[in-house]
Amino acid sequence: MDNNFFGEEKAVILGLGELRVGTCPMGTIGLGSCIALILHDQRQSLGGLAHIMLPESRGNTDRPGKFADTATSALLLEMERLGSTRSAITANVIGGASMFEYSANSLNIGERNTAAVRGLLNDLGVRIAHEETGGKVGRSVYYWPEKKGRLIIKRADGTCTKLL
Amino acid sequence: MELDPFQADALRELGNIGAAHAATSLSQMLMSPIEMTVPEVQAVDIADMHNYIGNEIAAIVVFQIQGEVADGGYIVVSMPRETIVRLTNQMLGTTDADREINEMDQSAAIEIGNIMISAFLDATAELLEIIMLPSPPALAIDMAHAAFESIIAQMAGDVNDILIFNTELTSEAPPIYGSIYMLPKPELMQQLFTMLEDLMTPLT
Repeated sequence: MDNNFFGEEKAVILGLGELRVGTCPMGTIGLGSCIALILHDQRQSLGGLAHIMLPESRGNTDRPGKFADTATSALLLEMERLGSTRSAITANVIGGASMFEYSANSLNIGERNTAAVRGLLNDLGVRIAHEETGGKVGRSVYYWPEKKGRLIIKRADGTCTKLL
Repeated sequence: MELDPFQADALRELGNIGAAHAATSLSQMLMSPIEMTVPEVQAVDIADMHNYIGNEIAAIVVFQIQGEVADGGYIVVSMPRETIVRLTNQMLGTTDADREINEMDQSAAIEIGNIMISAFLDATAELLEIIMLPSPPALAIDMAHAAFESIIAQMAGDVNDILIFNTELTSEAPPIYGSIYMLPKPELMQQLFTMLEDLMTPLT
């Protein structure tokens, strides 16, 4: 299965519920209702990505990347441990789509995920530099932490956005 | 979640019967032979899902498993977009294969999913002597992984692996391809195992 469609070999693809902080390129493929939360520190060329599945951890701690609340604090903590200061960190929020038509709301958890991440970032004083959430389209995200941070969002309809 | 060999076997057999009925109903509808693979049953860590479910555009038709079982989990039919276009063409007698997905394709995907999954659940339920019904279908024509994520988010709040049960159906003329995935919740699994064990206990 060709998950490496950006042609970048060093990339780390983060699966559902995984998170990572580092300087290597990272990405997630096929985001539906899930959210890719990217925290970026331009000064350090350091970044973190979490592939968040649900809004609240409700006491689950074994996979911090899975839930908005635990993922946000785990990413921040790790970046601060590696020398980032809170004020230098900006966030990118991508995903949170509603994938299913003709469906009860239960399959459309994207909105709740988005609202949870926004609220948490606001409480923690992290500015959102770029957000692309909602809609009915799957997205893949690719992120390079160096310098200003580079971001590519590829959508299921074939369109692509590149952000420097 | 670990499956012991007995459980894996029992589930595979159950799936085999379900998938065979789904294949028959598809075959009758298309009036062409359908081949099916032996079902695979595996427990997959949610973090590894992207190694099993790809990123290509597919029609994903989802049903919740309802009826006489506990909140059962989901059953999914996944078909690549070329297959959907071919199936719609076949049913309508049209030939244009190089076109955008339209409303007719969406209806066709839902209808085909409905027929296959009803046959699948009917057959498995009959074997177990219980009632299993599909919920009304939900459809996404999008990156397969993106659609599966949204289903898994409903199931894996407290667990980190998902039992995936997968059979592939193919036909050569028309060249079509589809997969059936069953994602039972742990409660349904338990219920299924108990019933299957009873079935396999010799009469004394």
